[in-house]
Order: sequence, then C-alpha cells, then structure tokens
Amino acid sequence: MVTATFQPSKHPLAEYIYRLERGEALLKDSPENVMEVVGILKSYGVVLDAYSNNLNYIAEHQFLELFPFFKYFNGEVTFNKLAQYLCHDRINFEYAEYCMKAMFWHGGGGLDSFLDTSEFTQLAQKAIEAKLKGNFVILTLHKIFPDFLFEQIRQMAYYSGLGQFWRIMADMFLSLSDLYDQGKIKTIPDVVQYILDALVADANTPITYQVKIKDQVYDILPKSANLTFLMDTAVPYVEAVFFRGTPFPGTISYNAQAYQIPFDQGSFAFGALYADPLPIGSAGIPPTLLMQDMRHFLPDYLHDFYQQTLRKEDDLRVQICTTFQKSMFCVTTAAIKGLAPFPLDTINMEEKLANRKYLEKWMNRFLSSRILDVNH
Amino acid sequence: MLSVLILLPLIGAVIISFWPQKIGENDSSPLHKNLALLCSLVILFWTIFLVFQFDPNQGGMQFSENLTWIEWLGLNYQIGLDGLSLPLIVLNSLLTVVAIWISSETIERSRFYYALLLLLNVGVVGAFLAQDLLLFFLFYEVELIPLYLLIAIWGGQKRGYAATKFLIYTAVSGILLLASFLGLVWLTGAKSFAYGPLLSQTLPLATQLLLLSGILIGFGIKIPFFPFHTWLPDAHVEASTPISVLLAGVLLKLGTYGLLRFGVALFPQAWQELAPFLATWAAISALYGASCAIAQKDMKKVVAYSSIAHMAFILLAAAAGTPLALVAAVAQMVSHGLISALLFVLVGVVYRKTGSRDVDYLRGLLNPEKGLPVVGSLMILGVMASSGIPGMVGFIAEFLIFRSSFPIFPVQTLFCLIGTGLTAVYFLLMVNKVFFGRLTPELANLPPVQFSERLPGLVLAVFIIILGLQPNWLLNWSEVDTAAISNQLTVNQVQLTMKN
Repeated sequence: MVTATFQPSKHPLAEYIYRLERGEALLKDSPENVMEVVGILKSYGVVLDAYSNNLNYIAEHQFLELFPFFKYFNGEVTFNKLAQYLCHDRINFEYAEYCMKAMFWHGGGGLDSFLDTSEFTQLAQKAIEAKLKGNFVILTLHKIFPDFLFEQIRQMAYYSGLGQFWRIMADMFLSLSDLYDQGKIKTIPDVVQYILDALVADANTPITYQVKIKDQVYDILPKSANLTFLMDTAVPYVEAVFFRGTPFPGTISYNAQAYQIPFDQGSFAFGALYADPLPIGSAGIPPTLLMQDMRHFLPDYLHDFYQQTLRKEDDLRVQICTTFQKSMFCVTTAAIKGLAPFPLDTINMEEKLANRKYLEKWMNRFLSSRILDVNH
Repeated sequence: MLSVLILLPLIGAVIISFWPQKIGENDSSPLHKNLALLCSLVILFWTIFLVFQFDPNQGGMQFSENLTWIEWLGLNYQIGLDGLSLPLIVLNSLLTVVAIWISSETIERSRFYYALLLLLNVGVVGAFLAQDLLLFFLFYEVELIPLYLLIAIWGGQKRGYAATKFLIYTAVSGILLLASFLGLVWLTGAKSFAYGPLLSQTLPLATQLLLLSGILIGFGIKIPFFPFHTWLPDAHVEASTPISVLLAGVLLKLGTYGLLRFGVALFPQAWQELAPFLATWAAISALYGASCAIAQKDMKKVVAYSSIAHMAFILLAAAAGTPLALVAAVAQMVSHGLISALLFVLVGVVYRKTGSRDVDYLRGLLNPEKGLPVVGSLMILGVMASSGIPGMVGFIAEFLIFRSSFPIFPVQTLFCLIGTGLTAVYFLLMVNKVFFGRLTPELANLPPVQFSERLPGLVLAVFIIILGLQPNWLLNWSEVDTAAISNQLTVNQVQLTMKN
C-alpha cells in the first residue's frame, strides 16, 4: 500500500496555492485592499445594474429588429436623451455588448450547449415565424440563408443570459458595499466569502428567456432547459471575460498570421486578469469604456484614496482598472473555492491531494496573469 | 519710446541684482523670478503698445532716437524701428516672458540668473534697434556675455566646454563683423558709423565682396550655417531649457536679421554677385542640418539640427532678394522663432518629467492617463508646423520662400524642398519613438504636468496657428520695408545692365 504524502508544491505560484489552502485569497489581505476592492465593486454594481437593464431591454424589445438604432435608449427616445447621448453623457452600453460577445464567442456551459440543440431551433423557428409574419423579403432571405436569424437569436439569448447574470451580480456587489459601510466586511477573505456565499445562494436561480410578439409569449430559453445562474452563466462568464477575453486593438496588435492568437480558444489569455491597465484611456481599448462608466460612481473614500497618489486623479481610469483587477482576483478566488472538488480546508489527505492538483491547474493559467502585479 | 525697451530690462537687471538678501538665506527665491517676470511682462506690454503705434505703411525708421555718444569715434546712440525689426522685437519680448516663466523657481543663484536673462534681453533688443553699425556691434557683443554665463553656470554636465565653444565661435563672428564695419566706414570715408543704405556704392566691387564676406561669415557663424554650426548643438544640449528657447527663438535671428540689414541692404551689388553661391550654401546647409537631425538620439539635438536646416531657408530667400522673398525671410524668422521655442519648451517638460531626452529610451508618452498627452499633442502640432503643414505659420513662411526663390534659383530651391521634406522624416521618427507605442514600466509613474507648465506651449501653439490662418498680421508689418531693401537690389541690377 502506497501512503500518499503531502509534499510542498513546486509550482512557480506555489505561494498562492498555499494561500488558498490556508483559506486566504489570491489578493493580499490589507485594509487598503479591502477599501479599494469594496469601493470599486460598489461602482461596478451601479454600472452592472445599468448594463443589465439594457441587455435585458435589448433581448426583450429589440428581438430581431434589423435596425436597432435606439437599442441603448431603453425605450425612452426623447430629444434630451438623444442630446445627452450625442454629448456622451451616458453609460457605455457598448462595453456590455463587448462582454456578451466574448461569452458568445467562447461559449461553454449549458447555455452554449442548449443553443445547439434541436429544441432551441424549434423554439427559435416559432419566434422567427411569429416575428416575420407577412415580411416576405426577410422570410425569403431566411430560407436562402437559414443560419443567419438563428445566430441572431443565439446572440439575443446571450444578451438575456448576461443581463440576468449581471442583475444578480449588481445586487450582490451593492449589498457587499452596504455591509462594508456597516463594518461587517473587514478583510479580503471576508469579501471572498461573501461573494462565494452569494454565488452559492443564487447558484440554482433559473435562467430563462421569453419574448413577447404580438401579445403572444415565445420561449427561447425555457425553464425545462434547466439553465441555472452559476454553472450556465457565471462560470462561462468568468472563463470568457476574466480569462480568455478577446484581443483588442490598441497599443499591442495581435497578428493572427504570425500565430500570436492561439487556434485553441481555451488557450486565450487576453481576459481581465491578464489585461495591462496602462493602455486604458487610449482609443480602441474596450475596458476604457467600463472605467469611464465606473468613475462616475466611485465612493468618496476611493476618490480620497486616488487623490493621495502621485498624479491624483489625472490617471483615474488606469487606477480604477488596477483596483478593478484586484477585485476580479477576489471574485476569481470565490469561483475557485466554489468549484473546488473538496473543501479547501479538508484534512483528508486524498482530498487535499485532489485539491492541490486542482489548484495547480488553476495556477498554470495564472502564470502570465497580473497576479504578481496586483500583489506587488 | 524705444529706449524704454532697452532701459526697462536694464533697470530690472539692476534691481534684481541688488535686491536685499537676508544673511544666511539661500540665494534662490521665487521672488526674483516674479520680479523678472513682472519686468518682462511690462516690456511685452510696452512692445504691444509700440505695435499699435507703428504704421506699417509708412516705411523707413519710426520712433527714431538719435544722441551723439562719442563724437570723435563717430559713435551715436541712434535707434529706430522698422518693419524688419518690429516682428523680431515682438518675438523677443514674448520669448523672454516664456523663458522666465519656464525657469525653475528653485534655480540656484536666482538673482544672478534673472539679471543675466534681462541683460541678454538688453543686448538683443539693442541690436535689433541699433541704427549705427558700431552701436549694433556693441549690443551684439553685450548679448554674448550673459549668454556665455547662462550656459556656463546653469548648463549641463559639459557646460564649460559648450559655453567656451560658443564664446570662441561668436567672438570670431564679432571680430569679422567689426572688421567689415570698420572697413566699410573707413574705406568710404564716412564720418560716422550711422547706418546708411548704399554706403558701399563708392567702393570697388572687389572691396565690397571682401567686406561682405566678413559679414556673411560673421553672421553665418551666428545663424549658424554649415560648416560654422558645430557650436550650436553643443550649446543647446548643455543649455537649460529657457536658454535654449531664447537661443533658438531669438538669438539666432540676430544673424539672419544682420544678413538682411547689413548684407543685402548695405552691399546690394556684391550681394547680387554672390547670390547664386549663397543659394547653394543655403541648400547645402539645409540638407546637412536635416541629414544630421535624422541621426540624432537626443531630442534637443534633433531640434537643434532642425534649426540649422530651417535657418538656411532664410539665406535662400535673402539670396533671391525679391520683395516676396524678403518678406518671406522675415516671416520665416518669426515662424522658426515660435516653432523652435515651442519644441524646446516641450522637450524641456519631457526632460523634467522623465529625466531623459533619449529617443531610444522614451516611449509611449502620448498615453492619455499616465503619459504626457497634452505635451505630446503640442509636440505633434509643433512638428507639423515645422514640417510646413498648411494652417500653421511654418507653411506660410516656407511656401513663400520657395515660391519666391524657385524662379530665380530652381535647383537650389528643389534641394531646400528636399530639406523641408526631411523635416517630416526626422521629426516623425522622433515623435513616433517618444510618444507612440506602449508606455514602458520605467515611465509608468511620471509626475503630472501642471497647467502652468503647459501654458507657455499653449500660448506659442496659439500664435503658430493664428499666424498660419491669418498671415497678413505678420507679413503686413514688413512688406514696405523689405520691398525697399529689395528695390535697392533691383536699382543696382538696372544700373549694372545700363553700364554693360
């Protein structure tokens, strides 16, 4: 009989494996980090609330609209709102779509699988026929190019899926901020535990999607598909947006012909945990949009904190991004803990070994991430 | 009225020099800067007052003042303002304010520093206003001493070498000028050194050519033209930013102003004989300056060599000698003064924030959050202006120069056009390396640029654009007087034709 021994890890990021095994987080615990993370998640919560409302609006009210000119107006097309939009006094809903498309592109989870089933095709076909009844031009085109409208509806399903996911996340982050203000959140492990508990609490919240066409409701993602918040939207979201992302144009150009973009989408490492905050603020860098949005909703204590830095708030968007990256490592810690095969504080040797293997696999993905920079 | 422009900085220099200092107090006080700034602002307002009093249609000297100084020597305190000197006086007043504004508040021995800056102003203004050859020479020499000290005391690591080199070169320049002025007065039998057009007409052509050669080499060193230029890059690199601004913006213009005032106007016959060679000299100097600029790694050296190239265009215009060419020459002086001052101001900010001017080290400074985006944008504007992009004063001046010189010296003009084309090459190389790309980790924590640091650049940029969109505001001042100088060349040409 071979007795399993628990050797020190030889992984380059072994320090972080031990941290997780000790019940700590990927982000170093300090009052300053707690304040930054909670503060940024508060503003993120406000922004996610707006993004979520808009994604849900688009999914429900812009369904198969060929020219959705006013999709960011949430149904309120007024001169004042148009003027505000043109003056850029608005939320950058484009960023929400960027994340939605990242999820759609990378797929994963039950939502992605369901969209490839015949059940979805039948449901979508019904909705198409209802929506385009009498529209012979588009129906003819649909017959010539049968995949196009289905793909549009798959995208709409992702609008809805991400909208529902962010609805829950927005409330979660705002509650976290309230608890911090009440003095109930004091450490980074507290933050991680709160997020983990909230994710678990909402884990089985169903993800469904119906559209109303001429007073008739059509299912796109029926309850019978058994799609749930955690495994079918949260995990694919973390995978797509935190880890894989999409290479964005900017100061670094990725050359597909030179194999700078991996063929295997699972090998993509362009997500939020890898992003270099320095180019934030430059044209064509999508996270710039999110940072622009969040800066409007920063709590005062975070403003005060940024005011104490070398450039004060001259480089606010980069500072927000740096802080945001810290918070994303907290969310990722919660996800890693939640998905671990066994509780990380187990004393069973076999379970410990299985957890170690699991954590080393995660750490492989963090090798080129910003984990060392955020803990610097 | 004009003497105020000379007396004000002189009085300012004396007041600052003797400003009481408490025992044990460090001789570095913002008060000295504020005093100098106040003085330079008063000078600037007085200059603006003169601008409004000046009648550009009148022609000839205005606000003239004439006092006998040393009668037996024939030296008179004779000053005046015309369309040739007015734009340069305005430029000088503006750039003196800029230079004092951008000077460090904590500069060591600040009383001495600001007194020297104001004395430099005295020399430059005096030289532009002097209507007596010896008086011009005196002011021309007066300006050397403060400039030498400003480089030698507050310069970089090799300041001693650069300042001495500058002093030797410009002293030789002064000797040659003095020799030519003395020769002109003594050989013509004039009783004084009073400036008089056509003074040389009684002299044989060979003598005129000899005297003009002295003036050409003398001012050629000052401007500078190839191969007398080697002092300039060293002086710029070692001088502090405010001194570089004045050096490139105003002091080099003493040379080109001297060429028009004492070369073209005093020796029209000899000038025409030499004109083809001068145009060729201009083309060589322009191409040499541009080629050297491409190879530079120090931002200041790039701008310094660019000055050599751009100042050569003034020689091309002066060689052409048409009314349009001469008015273009004046426009180019102002244009180069504004643009080079802007570029040096910005290079100074980059150096202050990053501690480097090395184009191989600096990168990504246009980063909107962590870099120097406004400085970078102004630098791009300055580079565009220097490259002759329409809408800015650089285009107006260079277009007029090439338009007027091409019918007379087509080959030389084409070579100069290549030189101006190369401006885009070396400046874009610099801007691309320094401002574009990803900000390096070493440069990721730069201190912020305050509005007061941006202000001089913004002001200069506004002038560059305004004069580019409304060039008449600049050209109108000098049209009548430059036409008069050109007319002398034409009259001389007609006389020569009739003789033959």
